[in-house]
Amino acid sequence: MLNNYNGMAQPLWQNGPAPGEFYNFTGGQTVQKLPRELTTAGPYGTKRSTAAITTGSSVLGIRYDGGVMLAADTLVSYGSLARYQNIDRVFKINKNILLGGSGDFADIQSIMRNIDQKMIEDQCYDDNIEMKPKSLASWMTRVLYNRRSRMNPLYIDVVVGGVEQNGTPYLANVDLRGRAYEDFVVATGFARHLAVPLVRENKPKDKEFTAEEASQLIRKCMEVLYYRDTRNSSTYTVGVCTPNGCGVEGPYQVNENWTFAATIKGY
Amino acid sequence: MSILAYNGGCVVAMRGKDCVAIATDHRFGVQAQTISTDFKKVFHIAPRMFLGLTGLQTDILTVRDRLMFRKNLYETRESREMAPKPFSAMLSSFLYEHRFGPYFIEPVVAGLDPKTLKPFICNMDLIGCPNEPDDFVVAGTCAEQLYGMCETLWRPDLDPDQLFEVIAQSMMNAFDRDAMSGWGATVYVIEKDKITERSLKTRMD
Amino acid sequence: MSSLGFEQFPDYQVPGVKHPDFSPYESNGGSIVAIAGDDFVVIAADTRLSSGYNIHSRNQSKLFKLSPKTVLGSTGCWADTLSLTGLMKVRMQSYEHTHLRTMTTDAVAQMLSITMYNRRFFPYYVSNILAGIDKDGKGVVYSYDPIGHCERATYRAGGSAGTLLQPVLDNQIGHKNINLPAGELPPLTKERAVAVASDTFISAAERDIYTGDSVLINVITKDGIEEKVLQLRQD
Repeated sequence: MLNNYNGMAQPLWQNGPAPGEFYNFTGGQTVQKLPRELTTAGPYGTKRSTAAITTGSSVLGIRYDGGVMLAADTLVSYGSLARYQNIDRVFKINKNILLGGSGDFADIQSIMRNIDQKMIEDQCYDDNIEMKPKSLASWMTRVLYNRRSRMNPLYIDVVVGGVEQNGTPYLANVDLRGRAYEDFVVATGFARHLAVPLVRENKPKDKEFTAEEASQLIRKCMEVLYYRDTRNSSTYTVGVCTPNGCGVEGPYQVNENWTFAATIKGY
Repeated sequence: MSILAYNGGCVVAMRGKDCVAIATDHRFGVQAQTISTDFKKVFHIAPRMFLGLTGLQTDILTVRDRLMFRKNLYETRESREMAPKPFSAMLSSFLYEHRFGPYFIEPVVAGLDPKTLKPFICNMDLIGCPNEPDDFVVAGTCAEQLYGMCETLWRPDLDPDQLFEVIAQSMMNAFDRDAMSGWGATVYVIEKDKITERSLKTRMD
Repeated sequence: MSSLGFEQFPDYQVPGVKHPDFSPYESNGGSIVAIAGDDFVVIAADTRLSSGYNIHSRNQSKLFKLSPKTVLGSTGCWADTLSLTGLMKVRMQSYEHTHLRTMTTDAVAQMLSITMYNRRFFPYYVSNILAGIDKDGKGVVYSYDPIGHCERATYRAGGSAGTLLQPVLDNQIGHKNINLPAGELPPLTKERAVAVASDTFISAAERDIYTGDSVLINVITKDGIEEKVLQLRQD
């Protein structure tokens, strides 16, 4: 409606414009596009996933004085089947953000496509402004919170790490409900039970880890996870983000030692 | 709603220096309706021992009677007074006998050992898991409020008068925040040579 | 589409088919205590973020500074807390831009109630306590239920140890069940409010597994907000 004076005016012809208005090509009917997950009602109701199917296990992130390190093994399971054994679950988003994904891998891939599209849009502005890790973490909380509020969650648990513009390291976790928090160590899956206590125990009071300490801990934790979490594989990748840029290294091999196995009896 | 919270009510017991105190509220209700305001849930079962029972009123009476039977049998057979410690052990095993069809009560025992005169407090869940701390025990529909009060007010080695003040304040302020408990309270302070019973007037709503 | 076998599954329960329901809520624990005085208000919250037996973080502030005179304490479902406080911050800023002044504590209190009631049929699962200095310069506390019922008070405890702490405040701050004439009661000073708030948290940390690690205490006066930290037990 362009002006408020002819609200009572009738269209000039069927589905035509009213006096003082532009022609409406949709015939006065506004086409509303609902989000896809709200429109896919089948003959038996709406379809939504009720559990994670192809799953990635733990992700571990450690913040240190000069950046962050993020590690995840390369296995993507299908139930108890070790289905895909060489998949990188630590992603480089841009030169100052890393993202580690666990949970339903299809949902991870889906959210990664969304993020990649965002990055392309960012580049199109050509204004030398890049996304910051805090912005991505915040965006993730909104996406995941909205999905959970529609009772159609993405079954994922992610770790966002990176370096802010002023050089301060950033590390956060966002879960499938949009619950988010920052800390010097965050983890998902079994690493929350097995790795977080190990890392907390080694934290010096009132001091951040050094890069050396952080990588030692990552190595130790990935070893523990490999021994104790049945949904882990012996290879893992590590993302490192510092003010000078970031990259994903590996795959590394866990330092396996099974000589003790011969001493275990009675099962 | 839980059967344990059908009739409402609460009991708390505390240890002091050479004394113990136990307190009960006076309410007996059926869910939100108050039936009586002079139902004491603490029973004087031996010269220096009290038993407090919260939970389903019918089970409070039954358990009290059946425990008195067992205790009398013990005292007749042994020809000596039953101390709080073996009494609690007996209560615990009695409750566990009904592991899969329990009495819906949460008991509290408070007293002095008849020989050594050492203070003793104890509480249990409805299937008899015993807990014998050296500070205080709580039971009933306002157990959480009682924990908050007792944890802030209690300190070691309270003398009988201080102990009374602490247990009375804990009880009154706790049940004033619970609709299922209150309507007056009674506090018993047990010392080696005397038992003091005091009635507390509280808000009746 | 019907070629994929699972299309044939009806939406109702079928024997042998597991249908785990997604729960949009999660309890992340945490407690808040707020005490108002004549010209100040004290609000304190612990810094533990947990779910079940997991402690996610030991230093997560649950106090949100909405204006120089208003602080919101929010616990419960942390995802809801983040959404709600985010929305509150946006609305506060929008008010400031349209009216060219900062919202008063009383206005924030009313807005919070409306914001929460907007989600009447899918509530924010949070326990909120708002503390601030009102337009007369007096300390004030507002407490809320999850669907936006709002009550003005002088002291309040909320969150996972709220039931433990409220009677303690009734007794120590409200002087309930203490039969003394008003003149003989100790006056509520800033120091006493901070001391009582600290003591309640030490007690709560003993019995509530969702409360612990440390407490952040904000003392709000007309001159600004003073922040204090108190360590609690970490088990």
